[in-house]
Amino acid sequence: MLMLLSEDSLTINSLADNFDMSRPAVSKHVKILETAGFISIKDLGRERYCTLKKDGFEELQAWLSYFDEFWASKLKKLETLLNNKLPN
Amino acid sequence: MGNLKLLIMAKVIKHQYFFAHPVETVWEYLTNAELMGQWLMKNDFKPVIGHEFQFRTGGKANLNFDGIFYCKVLNIEPLKTLSYSWNCGPGEGRITLESVVTWQLEPKDNGTEVFLDHRGFDRAENLDMYHGLMHGWLEKFENIEKLLKTENHGDTNA
Repeated sequence: MLMLLSEDSLTINSLADNFDMSRPAVSKHVKILETAGFISIKDLGRERYCTLKKDGFEELQAWLSYFDEFWASKLKKLETLLNNKLPN
Repeated sequence: MGNLKLLIMAKVIKHQYFFAHPVETVWEYLTNAELMGQWLMKNDFKPVIGHEFQFRTGGKANLNFDGIFYCKVLNIEPLKTLSYSWNCGPGEGRITLESVVTWQLEPKDNGTEVFLDHRGFDRAENLDMYHGLMHGWLEKFENIEKLLKTENHGDTNA
């Protein structure tokens, strides 16, 4: 559900369309997510719109990808260094 | 709600690597500044709790990172574990990202198993909002999982 919201603000109805869930069930999930602080809900006309609170999600993802690759390559470098410098 | 699990796990980076070398050797390469510089980054590390040091590397504009990691040794148990804070930012000593790196070494018959844990990734800006959001995440995720488990069990009767 959070992945869907990361694309766009969606109404509860459109969210329900994407999941094999009743509208009340989606509402329950959405309320839980709102209470937890992940999404904000706005009523516009007759529809409720849910928006993901991005708040640095994207920057966090960028850092995590960077460091994941960073450590993988550094550990590999350490292995090469150890193998070249010392007999096992 | 598999997406939530992804988000929880996404805040921690874990690597495990086996080196066919004795634990004393691996430990040396993790705690000797000159040796560390050969595979990790240039640094002025000292294996002393509380010691503040830096790693220097190339900057990354897309990450608002000037290339300096500001670190402080948090914990050391020789040949076993080592952890230091790992903070960085856009320049002039400003910190916008905080994290902690922990190394754990396990001697094996034919070498050493190394465990790396890199976690935290807290942003120092907007402290109130962000610390509230970030620090509370894990607890919130756990609460959500509990709530959803209850909800799911409830729904099966609907």
